[in-house]
Amino acid sequence: MKNNLLVVPVILPLFTAILIFLISNIKFQKLLSFVSTTFCLATALYLTKQVSVKGIQTLSLGDWPAPFGIVIALDLFSGIMLILTMIVSLAALIFSFKTIGSERENYFYYAFFQLQIMGINGALITGDIFNLFVFFEILLIASYILMALGGKPYQLQETTKYMIINMVSSVLFLVGVAVLYSTLGSLNMADLSVKVGKAGDQGILKVIAVIFMIVFGIKGGLFPLYFWLPRSYHAAPSAVAVLFGGLMTKVGIYAILRVYTLIFAPTLSSINNIILIIAGLTMFLGVMGAVAQMDFKLLLSYHIISQVGYMIMGLGLYTPLSITGAIYFLIHNIIVKSCLFLISGIAEKLRDTTDLKKMGGLMATDPSVAYIFLIAGFSLAGAPPFSGFFGKFLLIRAGLEKGSYLIVFVSILVSFFTLYSMTKIFKYAFWGTAPENVKKVQHNHYFGLVLPAACLALLTVFIGLNTEWVYSYVNSAAYQLMNPDLYIQAVLGG
Amino acid sequence: MEFLMALVVGVFFAVSIYFMLSKKLLKVVFGTLLISHAANLMLLTSGGLKGEKAPILSDGSTLSYADPIPQALILTAIVIGFGVTAFILVLTCRLYKTFATDDLSILRGEANEK
Amino acid sequence: MTIVISPFVFGLIVLPFLHKIKLRFHKWVGIVPLVLFLTILKYKSSIINGNIVSEAYQWVPSFDVSLSFRLDGLSFIFALIITGIGFLVVIYSKKYMHSESAISRYFSYILLFMSSMLGVVLSNNLISLFVFWELTSISSYLLIGFWFYKEKSRYGAWKALLITAGGGLAMLAGFILMYTVTGSFEISQILSQKELIKSSPFYLTILVLTLIGSFTKSAQFPFHVWLPDAMEAPTPVSAYLHSATMVKAGIYLLARLNPVLGGSSYWFYMVTFTGILTMCYGSIMAIRQRDLKALLAFSTISQLGLITSLLGVSTETAVIGAVFHIINHAAFKGSLFMVTGIIDHEAGTRNLDELGGLGRKMPFTAVVALIGALAMAGIPPLNGFISKELFFEAVLVDGWAGYVLPALAVFGSIFTFIYSMIFVISPFLGTYKPKEKTVHEAPWGLLLSPMILGVTNLALGIYPKLVADIISKGAANILGKYVDAHLSLWHGFNVPLLMSLIVISFGCLLFSRLNYVKHIIEKIQMKKINLNKLYDLFQTGIPKFAGFITEKQMTGFLRDYLVYILSFVFLSVGLTSLFFMELSIPNLNLERIDVYEYVVAAIMVVSSIFLLFTRKRLIAILILGVIGYMVSLFFVLEKAPDLALTQLIVETITLVLFLIAFPHLPEITEENSKRSTKIINAAVSILTGLTVTFLMVYSKAYKIYESVSSYYIDNSLLLGGGKNIVNVILVDFRGFDTMGEITVLGIAAFSVYALIKLRLGGRKYE
Repeated sequence: MKNNLLVVPVILPLFTAILIFLISNIKFQKLLSFVSTTFCLATALYLTKQVSVKGIQTLSLGDWPAPFGIVIALDLFSGIMLILTMIVSLAALIFSFKTIGSERENYFYYAFFQLQIMGINGALITGDIFNLFVFFEILLIASYILMALGGKPYQLQETTKYMIINMVSSVLFLVGVAVLYSTLGSLNMADLSVKVGKAGDQGILKVIAVIFMIVFGIKGGLFPLYFWLPRSYHAAPSAVAVLFGGLMTKVGIYAILRVYTLIFAPTLSSINNIILIIAGLTMFLGVMGAVAQMDFKLLLSYHIISQVGYMIMGLGLYTPLSITGAIYFLIHNIIVKSCLFLISGIAEKLRDTTDLKKMGGLMATDPSVAYIFLIAGFSLAGAPPFSGFFGKFLLIRAGLEKGSYLIVFVSILVSFFTLYSMTKIFKYAFWGTAPENVKKVQHNHYFGLVLPAACLALLTVFIGLNTEWVYSYVNSAAYQLMNPDLYIQAVLGG
Repeated sequence: MEFLMALVVGVFFAVSIYFMLSKKLLKVVFGTLLISHAANLMLLTSGGLKGEKAPILSDGSTLSYADPIPQALILTAIVIGFGVTAFILVLTCRLYKTFATDDLSILRGEANEK
Repeated sequence: MTIVISPFVFGLIVLPFLHKIKLRFHKWVGIVPLVLFLTILKYKSSIINGNIVSEAYQWVPSFDVSLSFRLDGLSFIFALIITGIGFLVVIYSKKYMHSESAISRYFSYILLFMSSMLGVVLSNNLISLFVFWELTSISSYLLIGFWFYKEKSRYGAWKALLITAGGGLAMLAGFILMYTVTGSFEISQILSQKELIKSSPFYLTILVLTLIGSFTKSAQFPFHVWLPDAMEAPTPVSAYLHSATMVKAGIYLLARLNPVLGGSSYWFYMVTFTGILTMCYGSIMAIRQRDLKALLAFSTISQLGLITSLLGVSTETAVIGAVFHIINHAAFKGSLFMVTGIIDHEAGTRNLDELGGLGRKMPFTAVVALIGALAMAGIPPLNGFISKELFFEAVLVDGWAGYVLPALAVFGSIFTFIYSMIFVISPFLGTYKPKEKTVHEAPWGLLLSPMILGVTNLALGIYPKLVADIISKGAANILGKYVDAHLSLWHGFNVPLLMSLIVISFGCLLFSRLNYVKHIIEKIQMKKINLNKLYDLFQTGIPKFAGFITEKQMTGFLRDYLVYILSFVFLSVGLTSLFFMELSIPNLNLERIDVYEYVVAAIMVVSSIFLLFTRKRLIAILILGVIGYMVSLFFVLEKAPDLALTQLIVETITLVLFLIAFPHLPEITEENSKRSTKIINAAVSILTGLTVTFLMVYSKAYKIYESVSSYYIDNSLLLGGGKNIVNVILVDFRGFDTMGEITVLGIAAFSVYALIKLRLGGRKYE
């Protein structure tokens, strides 16, 4: 199903960014970013609706037939991801208005922000493996500058490490592309899928699959590739950390799920135990990192790692139920993680620190923030009736049905420690007594600070209570992933 | 020829990774420069070497063309690589100016010393 | 549904809203539980006739998760306790908490809890039960931590949450396993498939997981440690959550699932013995306590143990006793907690050492305390006597357990008797001790609720037939068969009566030697492992352990990270190749290499190796330039003129950039790395290099498909309108890539500008 609108999520942020580079009025920049992001969100919603009604939407750019030209395609999974990207971007953008500061605004913050969105959206909708590389480069270079913008010492130091590790991962990506092209002679993902399907059980394909697992695993924060993650997110300004914490690693996970279900599905049966081991270690070591921390943002950053493990667990089990669980978990996690990072940003604004020991008493001074945290924190820990519960529920059920008891045990243990570290934050930052001479944020600022977090918290409650409705989409998305023929048909046979 | 290239790329990878494992940021940057050459050479090799003529159409020739796709990809990769190199170079300068050192074993960073 | 949801709505929406608009509705909050109580009571005749009231709402039908509710005899009893005690507690709290500024928040939490607890006992779906179960944990967490500025409150709240929610997670796994066996989460469905579960290989796992959930919630040994610390909550909360209702959720679960999980010897031994040991342990520990609330906490642990052991035995007598004791315990323990609250409120302390002789000052309170304590001790004519008799009768089972259990039961009951006596004698009799001189009788607002409970105790003791029919129904639901309960104060001379007499006489004897008894207990206690220490060890040990393994890997040093990552690269690629690929030596086509190609390759290799030994940065930059130009030359040789040109230009600009930046770049100084580090670095580099070489050779050798490139050669001129195929691909076939590439370049340009210009942080050193 051809659809010209598909190009909007990529082109619109690009044009917005160009306009922002050209026009230096900050107020205008804010307005433009807001309008453009909202419009992008609307487009994403519309497109996804189209997908759910009419099937996978594709667009051959320049009208060159696949697999020769570049095809972009939107199935339900990428549609859902697109919507979430825009929701989180919108939340981070509104939060930026109040927190990012005029210096950064003057140095094209909003433009870089839009380019970051462009990179993510491009990576989500492209159907070509080298084009995916290009969009990864866009989102990476945008992330480098967003992380470093401001040039504080800690920022510079951590950005450097982040950048070099990602340069290695980019090189590995090229290695992967080279090997893939060398053996299969194509770059279009649907075409690759067909060819892998025909080639049968070949050892070299498993090796290539492993290379791509590493490439995306570095971006997604898997064991043992996640080392860059916690401190670099910690170094980024709060609003940027929201965007990164909520989305960036998930793009890596998206790519893993995409290439593994589409291209490398035949190899999964032989390497799924390795994936499960990676998942288990990622979960466990991530949560251990979180348990050890006494810093709000750093603790949350470690949690990103541990949560990513759950999604990979869904892939490793590779049953329809587990893939559904993984997607559901991904949705839940993007929302809740962004919400938590927003709260950490608010808390940092209110207390001028992210050190838990120096905070305290937020429950007394800012109860609304405390309750939002409570919802998001319990949701992350998988407590009902919030969205996290059903994600965990599906994965545990999928694991038990498949008989993978060890990973189920690990996942339950990890969710216990998640609860532990969330309540630890609550104990230190929200309970207790406030330090002396705390700043009072002006009332009109307060609303803009709390609003995005409150909306995301409502969303997690909404998803928890309306799981059936969300599930109907997630289930179809998983169905599409489990049946790559649908994607291939849409891209090649249209 | 492919085998020779495989050796060269292997050596490039080994050398550049040895550089990247260094404590000194400048050496690490040198490593990233070298490794992007390696990746480009690898891409070129992936399409098969020893094409008999450049992928520019000419009438009446029976010679085989070199595979144009890897060439297109490499062109993209070179330009992207250049952008990233410029970035890392400036970042290195700023880091060095700020900390007065480029020793990565010192620049570990504590959790709360922002 | 309305029953469950209404406190929720009032607690979470109405109260905060009214509070915002300054209406003091919280004074009238009692209406909510009262109305609920009466509504539930209305179903009494229907329940007794054996009807079941049920109601179901779909939640997530795809997972078989629904909000289905079911009111039968068992849930009827629990629902009445929840709303009834809830009503009394709310009335009591209004006076007790009146000086608290956040009272509206307090009632919100209480109502939230009430909803959740009703949800637990009314749910007919395991998952909705679990949802409400966790909500009770969360509301309990908030209530214990209500005075969050106190360190002890935070400690207690956290501990309670971690233990009960942790047990909840195990229970969830048990529930899901039950689903995989029976294919349903509906409790009524599961109850009808008990054979399936009992014969399933997962039976024991399901049982253990469910028991962990139940025992943590009901504070059974060794999970009881959270309950004494939960006493940091305001006293009405302790009365309501931590003795009358929430802690009984575990008991409820045991009772509810008894038809499915019970009846096996695993069940009997695990449940009964956990229960009876908890009972003995709790009652012994209660004696040592100086704080009245702590005494009551351990007493609660002990009483819960008693009920648990009855459910473990699960004969008809046992179950009737269990149900009756659930009611009795709620009544007498509730009143005793409220008495403690009154004492604390009036005398300003709960410490037994500072209390004494209050009886004359506050006679009503003393009477209520006396009734409650006698009921607890199992003295006729109070309700506690009847249920204790049933307990003694129930533990007289066959086999060796028939000797051990009665002995332990009597042993535990003796101490129960003693601490009951302590509770009533120490504060109220003897010489007047409190520092506060003006202690007087509590106001009616505080006295009313415990008095009502006291009257209930008496009434149930003298006329137990009042509840006999409803207890029969409850017991029938637990056993899954028809039960007719005959409750009476006088059973005739039999073994249980003898046991009661032993308890009372030994109890009196030991009470007169109280100090000696305490001395012995303390001596034994010293030698034992303290379970609280275990929790505290967990609290300090886990972050330490986590910190240890985290610091080991997260060193903050780029080199370490790269070593880990690259090692993973060559290990995983290498191992996958070894396992899954047939590695034969491929045809290397060495004869096709020309001399000049050897030369270019040699220059590249040699200069890169030379780079390794360079100490001067200028030379290093120049060598890099040479390599770049060689690559460009190689592109020429490989018939890639566009690449060669681009490479040439980019290389030159890069060189220029480096030269511009030159003065701002650090020197290359001698590295003082350890030898072992250098060896590891070298090994990692060489192995990665080998991996790449290997990949290149074998991807060629295992070529499966020809490239799609012929399409471009055929169509470039025809459709793309250009002879230079690479150019046509770039600007047309794959134009999207080029757009991205330009974007990257653009971002880089602006970033460089922003990086150079914007300096917020200043310099770190200098």
